Amino acid sequence: MRVTIPAAGLLEKVSHQCEEAELYEVRGVSMPVRFAAGTLESVKSVESVGRALRVIKNGRLGFSTTTDLTDDITLVENALQSAQLGGLAGFSLPGRRQSPAVLCFDAEVEQLTESELITMGEKAAARLASYDPQLHVEISLSTEVEEVRLLNTHGLEVREQRTSLSVGIDAARVREGDIRIVSDSDVSRRRKDVSPMAMVERLIERLGWSEKTTTVQSKTMPVVFYPRGAIVLLLPLMAGLSGRNVSMGSSPLRDKLGQEVFASQFTLLDDGRLDYAARSATYDDEGTPTSRKALIEDGVVRQFMYNLKTAGQVGAQPTGNGFKSGFFGGGFSDQPGIAPCTWCVRAGERSLSAILGRLPEALLVEQVIGLGQGNVTAGEFSNNVSLGFLARRGEIVGRVKNTMIAGNVYYLLRERLIALSDRAEWAYGVIRAPAIALDGVSVASSA
Amino acid sequence: MRDRLLQTLSHCGADYADIRVEREWRNAVLYRKDNLENLESSSEVGGIVRCLVSGGWGVAVFNSLEELERRVEDACRIAKTVGAKISQRAELAAVKPVQDEVRAALLKDPRCVPLQDKQRLLQTYNERMLGFSDQIVTTQARYADSFREITFASSQDAYIVEERPDVTLLLSATARNGDTNIQEAFESEGWAAGFEAVEGQEELAQRAAQRAVELLQARPVSGGVYTVILDPLLTGVFIHEAFGHLCEADFISKNPRLQEILTPGRRFGVPELNVIDDGYLPGLRGNSKYDDEGTPRKKVYLIRKGVLHGFLHSRETAARLGATPSGNARAVSYQFQPIVRMRNTYVDQGSATFEQMLKGVERGIYACNAFGGQTEMEQFTFSAAYAYEIVNGKLGGMLRDVVLTGNVFETLQSIDLIGSDLQIKGGAGGCGKAGQSPLPVSMGGPHVRIRNLTVGGRVE
Repeated sequence: MRVTIPAAGLLEKVSHQCEEAELYEVRGVSMPVRFAAGTLESVKSVESVGRALRVIKNGRLGFSTTTDLTDDITLVENALQSAQLGGLAGFSLPGRRQSPAVLCFDAEVEQLTESELITMGEKAAARLASYDPQLHVEISLSTEVEEVRLLNTHGLEVREQRTSLSVGIDAARVREGDIRIVSDSDVSRRRKDVSPMAMVERLIERLGWSEKTTTVQSKTMPVVFYPRGAIVLLLPLMAGLSGRNVSMGSSPLRDKLGQEVFASQFTLLDDGRLDYAARSATYDDEGTPTSRKALIEDGVVRQFMYNLKTAGQVGAQPTGNGFKSGFFGGGFSDQPGIAPCTWCVRAGERSLSAILGRLPEALLVEQVIGLGQGNVTAGEFSNNVSLGFLARRGEIVGRVKNTMIAGNVYYLLRERLIALSDRAEWAYGVIRAPAIALDGVSVASSA
Repeated sequence: MRDRLLQTLSHCGADYADIRVEREWRNAVLYRKDNLENLESSSEVGGIVRCLVSGGWGVAVFNSLEELERRVEDACRIAKTVGAKISQRAELAAVKPVQDEVRAALLKDPRCVPLQDKQRLLQTYNERMLGFSDQIVTTQARYADSFREITFASSQDAYIVEERPDVTLLLSATARNGDTNIQEAFESEGWAAGFEAVEGQEELAQRAAQRAVELLQARPVSGGVYTVILDPLLTGVFIHEAFGHLCEADFISKNPRLQEILTPGRRFGVPELNVIDDGYLPGLRGNSKYDDEGTPRKKVYLIRKGVLHGFLHSRETAARLGATPSGNARAVSYQFQPIVRMRNTYVDQGSATFEQMLKGVERGIYACNAFGGQTEMEQFTFSAAYAYEIVNGKLGGMLRDVVLTGNVFETLQSIDLIGSDLQIKGGAGGCGKAGQSPLPVSMGGPHVRIRNLTVGGRVE
């Protein structure tokens, strides 16, 4: 029988061979349940472990990971070899720092059984089938319970148990010459925050709006990003506010700290301390306490996001954004990069219907494809609207097809912000944003 | 190992069961600007069991091989729960159980090449880009190799050990002129090969840096409808993203309405149009002798002579549609069950020359390579990495921000010319589907010309 080498023992051993070392360990249990074509397809049980070792030797950074906890020799050798050639660290690992606990664990998620998850999925599938038996429905549900440990040679010792419940639903309606997919996903660390039935009702409302299709003329016009559509605008800002792009000089915001470069109604918070939010934690993956801070306040750039390394490069303070996974994936085997926690856009004063009511014509964008394509660094977006509705004076006229939107976030959020709606809503479990109405967005249609 | 796996599976009580155990050795080098951001050797071990009971799948993933027997029991127990509740029972089409051992033949096994050699090579490429011009503000030089040994065993007595090498190189340069004109260009390559494949690629670094600088002078495209010529790389991305994914039979096989649209025999394009997915092309990333269900690879025509011909299958989708498994059940790692995926997908060559394609185009776009692409059923979108305008049959100035979009069925019908200059290659990324990313694939084609394609962008 091969034995697992304890984390503390491994760290103690490596501490004699370098100046600083950090061991990140994760043990997880997850249970993904999948429905295809409206019926149960598979249930999976995942038990995973992983370790990542970072060392600083002669000022140079080394890194290695493994899933074989019985083999500490290879892990240590690999990390030390990497440090021999590695880049200069330019930072020091943090010591133990107090940080009030952020709630990340919900026993109700841990206790969810596979049968309960299956029942949740069956109910959602049945409701969609009763709305339209022709819909092709795919549902995935998963619980995850993980324990993260982070130890370093400066006495840092973090141990946090985290849960999450995630649900994704796709409903496709396939007709000759018109295939459409309406989808939604949500994730939270707490069971009661995720309601598959509420997601289904929203999908059904969108399907209803989609019954009629309509066309728009190619032109610049008001576009309302709502609420999941907000990711189109926030994605370029994630690049622009990332300390890495700031330190490398590729962010258009790199020298704009303290300057008003967005419309004064626009405030964007990065919040790592929201209890039970999917991207919340007490510490980031390097042991820096997470924080809640305005990145953009009343249109003024207030703060960039840094991990230890980039903070060291520009002489800034780490902001608790050193995470191994971002909005689009990652995991223990990645080095800590810079990633947002929950991004919150401050709500405005008028209701969405009041905003739409004043616009003779507006395109409501809920879902796009092609996120991240194009010149994101420069703030450009260019997306196919996969779910969007034309509204005239607040009335939904119908769904648009074969339509692209394009523009520059830095320009539009400075010069063309019409309004933010009065209610911020969750999108994908990682963003809380009101509807964002912008004028002057390019809309190209082949219709 | 062999006896342990086969014995455990044969006693587990499932109607069918298989197991994959994977060992991976990987190395990575990443330069950003003048920083060596990552230099890493890592290893991974893990496994996955699939059990089928009464048509329901139970799956268990694990890292500790000590737990193997217990995890087989877990998968079996879960499969029973699923089997009792399921309404559409999964069945598996027959495949002859294979016993085989497939070793990779590499000139330079990346496990034996010192990490320092990899770091130095990447440093050279990175410096080449950084030194190209003062306008280059940042770069990314990324190298990754992975060597996987996959052991597959099934309750039907298949036992395969296969080595799968993969090596990738991404060189990207960002140029800036003034505050807001920031342009990025990249070259991206990937092979099922050893370290030798990434050596001697200085030219790629040069091209990436040069193009980033050139893009500073490029005009943003005006949105509208154009005749578009795709270069071989973009043809590949188009056919993979927009059409290949539709031909993955997992979605079709459970969707009768889609089957009405995708009916074999139906005409999808000009007679010269052939679309192929092929697992046999030596050195390409989509290669492997067997898929992750132990089915040997095939060459599959998706479109033959303009007519829909076949789909890509796993054993399960083949059983449902009465077809033959095509060796396309692939998993990105031991953490996932195999699903229907492409391998090396391309438009076969036709007969047109580039000059013939330009001829008669009053106002068009020559679009090259792709920054990315995405599809949602019939809707697709992808962004060209760079492009040129075509005015009265002649290539003109460089364009940027060219994003192509449309309906795949209409677009295939609108391909009127197919070039004779077939190129297939793997990029540094890979394909993503159902949370499994990046799966090594290659794609390609010749130049093709498409009439009436919508191009997103600023509207004047």
